[in-house]
Amino acid sequence: MSHCKTVEIFYALVPLKPWRGFLIRSHIEKCPRCLAGLASREAVGSLLVKETEVKIGRSLWTGVESALAADSGGERTKDRAVRLPVMRRWGWAVATAFLVVLITGFLLLKNFRPEGTASTAALPARFALDYVRIGGQPADAVVYHPQGSDMIIVWAGTNN
Amino acid sequence: MDEQELIAGCLRGRMEDFRMIVEQYTGPAMALAINVLGNRDDAEDACQELFIQVYRNLGSYDPRRSFKNWVYTILYRRCLDHLRRRRRSAELVKKMGQETILAIPANPGHSHPRRSLPSDLLERLKAKERTALGLWANEGYTAQEISEVLLCSASTARVYLFQARKKIKKLLEQGDVSLQNG
Repeated sequence: MSHCKTVEIFYALVPLKPWRGFLIRSHIEKCPRCLAGLASREAVGSLLVKETEVKIGRSLWTGVESALAADSGGERTKDRAVRLPVMRRWGWAVATAFLVVLITGFLLLKNFRPEGTASTAALPARFALDYVRIGGQPADAVVYHPQGSDMIIVWAGTNN
Repeated sequence: MDEQELIAGCLRGRMEDFRMIVEQYTGPAMALAINVLGNRDDAEDACQELFIQVYRNLGSYDPRRSFKNWVYTILYRRCLDHLRRRRRSAELVKKMGQETILAIPANPGHSHPRRSLPSDLLERLKAKERTALGLWANEGYTAQEISEVLLCSASTARVYLFQARKKIKKLLEQGDVSLQNG
């Protein structure tokens, strides 16, 4: 009796289904006193509609048949019944894969530069020129970087 | 004919085989749907939707699983959809303040009137509890089998069943008391 009360308290205190399931399995289902607090199968059965009490004419099948006929335009073949969902799944898979490749490609190409070329923004920072010599003599040099271009032109000439 | 043979026949497009499946499952499915939904009209709609869905998805049925449980799972979900729709329309009616809409039958050509739940006591239970109770009392299902239909753990199914039985017991006792007092 006291054990039943303890189980009841624990059941009420912890509203977790796995815990409650454990209490039901380990105690309530085996305890005659606890089972007496539950409706029996017969009592419940008397409240429910049973299979034998259900009378169905042809209406249900007629409805199902006409809905299926309207759905598929007639009888389905095995190929259509089985292949169609499979094909649809494959279609989705191919479309998703294509989309992923497209997005990845776009993102890669967006940031891709062939080797040896630098991005416009990075060029001036990377380009460095200490001095220019022509024939072992220092030369005048002009560095020209057209705006919006990757190109840098170095114009060098001797003084004499 | 064996159930698996009937299913194979359906997949080959044999409507006669599917008709046999429908006839075989109409009774138990209708009984469960009436017990969950509480009226015959909605139960018939749910069962019709059930069989259409079964036919359409037969290709994805896993033969390792019980076909009956698979059918009941679909039916349970259809019933939940019906209850959701009913709740939404009830909310709409409440919002509009037009109680008279309820008097308009869903199918005016239907011969039998809209019936309430087989027992008013069942109205006090949740749909999950009614389903668990129906499967347990009518089909002799165990908590494990109920969990396969409700797509939950056995513990959860056990709890639904326990709560439903407890509520019913309490309500039956209250009913007895009120009858004695009245």
